[in-house]
Amino acid sequence: MALRLRLEGVTYSYPLPGKDEAVAVTAVSLAVEPGDVLCLAGSNGSGKSTLAQVCTGLLAPSSGALYYGDERIEGRSALREFRRKVGLLFQNPEDQLFADTVEKDIAFGPHNHGLRGDALKARIQESAAMVGLPLDELGSRSPFSLSEGQKRRAALAGVLALDPEVLVLDEPFIGLDFEGRQSLASALTSYRAERGASIIIVTHELSHVWSLATTFGLLSEGRLVRFETREELLAGETDLAALGMQLPQWGSLARELLRAGVSLEDPADPRALAGAMAKRREATDGR
Amino acid sequence: MLADVETKDIKVEGISYTYEGADSPAIADIDLGLEHGKLYALLGRNGSGKSTLARCLNGLLLPGAGRVVSCGMDTSEPGSVLEVPRHVAMVFQNPDTQIVGATVEEEVAFGPENLGLPTGQIRERVDRALELAGITSLATRQPLRLSQGQKQLVAIAGAIAMEPDFLVSDESTSMLDYSARVRVLDLFEQLRDAGMGIIHVTHFLEEATLADEVVVLESGRLVAQGTPQETLGDPQRVRSLGLDPLAVTVVAYELARLGHAVPEDVLTVKELVSWLYA
Repeated sequence: MALRLRLEGVTYSYPLPGKDEAVAVTAVSLAVEPGDVLCLAGSNGSGKSTLAQVCTGLLAPSSGALYYGDERIEGRSALREFRRKVGLLFQNPEDQLFADTVEKDIAFGPHNHGLRGDALKARIQESAAMVGLPLDELGSRSPFSLSEGQKRRAALAGVLALDPEVLVLDEPFIGLDFEGRQSLASALTSYRAERGASIIIVTHELSHVWSLATTFGLLSEGRLVRFETREELLAGETDLAALGMQLPQWGSLARELLRAGVSLEDPADPRALAGAMAKRREATDGR
Repeated sequence: MLADVETKDIKVEGISYTYEGADSPAIADIDLGLEHGKLYALLGRNGSGKSTLARCLNGLLLPGAGRVVSCGMDTSEPGSVLEVPRHVAMVFQNPDTQIVGATVEEEVAFGPENLGLPTGQIRERVDRALELAGITSLATRQPLRLSQGQKQLVAIAGAIAMEPDFLVSDESTSMLDYSARVRVLDLFEQLRDAGMGIIHVTHFLEEATLADEVVVLESGRLVAQGTPQETLGDPQRVRSLGLDPLAVTVVAYELARLGHAVPEDVLTVKELVSWLYA
């Protein structure tokens, strides 16, 4: 079960040659509650990946603070301890796959954490099942011989095998087709439900996380310019195009309907949208 | 053969391609005519053969059966190896893998230089390509220091500088953010209007709605071809092809089930919302 993860006034600058630095993230404060799925979205270069790395403890804030539960995470040993609770899926799965078989790849993390024998086997089975990867078919294959979608799932299984409380994923949906995205999304949903984990997803494409995310953190030039729920995002006036983003078609439709005074129970559910539209049309027709 | 030289279209005639060591063909028995001055969207789930077909169009892959006649040239003929890519240019998903120049203008000049054109003509082509892509201001910058979106525009400018009849985009927008994607798609429309044929491989159905014609592959076979309305309107069918149906079509389908006569060809939010007031 995850604890509350909180950033307070976090700024992060990358050191440049000489004494210069490049500020990637400026004064960001936010909180991720246990079980939240936070989408960090922004255009290329908005600082979203850097912010996600701060959330994993891989980058320590240049100023400001990272809290997990009531504890402030600072100093090497605290960061190291915190990183054991966090799983990170890189954008390119090949950056984290390395073993000569899929099974060994998934085993690497838990083995390092001291798991052996049947416990290790069970953990591998469980992680592979959660991402829908058939081990009997693929377990002894090289991870590099898999399709893009399978690679992504193998890498995720390796991350889940560490049983992280907080899961951070950088652009996990890029290059996956509809079915690949759906199966990844359902793996994340079930992991979150089973473990009470918090999930942070970095993306430039809101449509990929539209029904998955509970909260949206929108970044522009290193600043967090919006931090709101899907409902708030729809009801508000946030000009996404100005932030280099676009509402998915589901969102634009829901927003147009809300503006037309149609009330919506669940803006991400097609039946709810159709039902609300039908009701409105029937009222207009005077049926 | 002489008459063929005049044509600026691509004819795909019953082609199949099987990768070495693969049990089944990546594409099989594909017949397809592609005209210049049109924008095509090529859709299909991962592994459906989109990239393989795209690579056959400019001779990067040669079909094991059937033939591709690109701009009058059979891609399998020995003389076509260098000639076809001049007429059918390609841009890929990741611009980092295709950029070699030290500055943007050097990068864009790379193709025309290889054609052995005189310096003056190279300059003209580079300037024109940079202007079309809207990146004249980046001419002296280092390509690898640009944003992903800018890099992709550089890669496209490099392709345009070859003055091809066709541009094949293999998921060139999938790594780009919204504003960069809009710029690239605008550019594709502009090039189409100027007479170029564009074949855009994509996962985004919303992008496909901009196309003149949509082509869908499934397990290496061509399974749907037609206008966006004809091919993308039925969400059940779209889903069965492994694609994410447009939200509007899903809601329209639900409305129809509730007994409402929604026009069958709605693809955009505007069209569907206007039905509320029709």
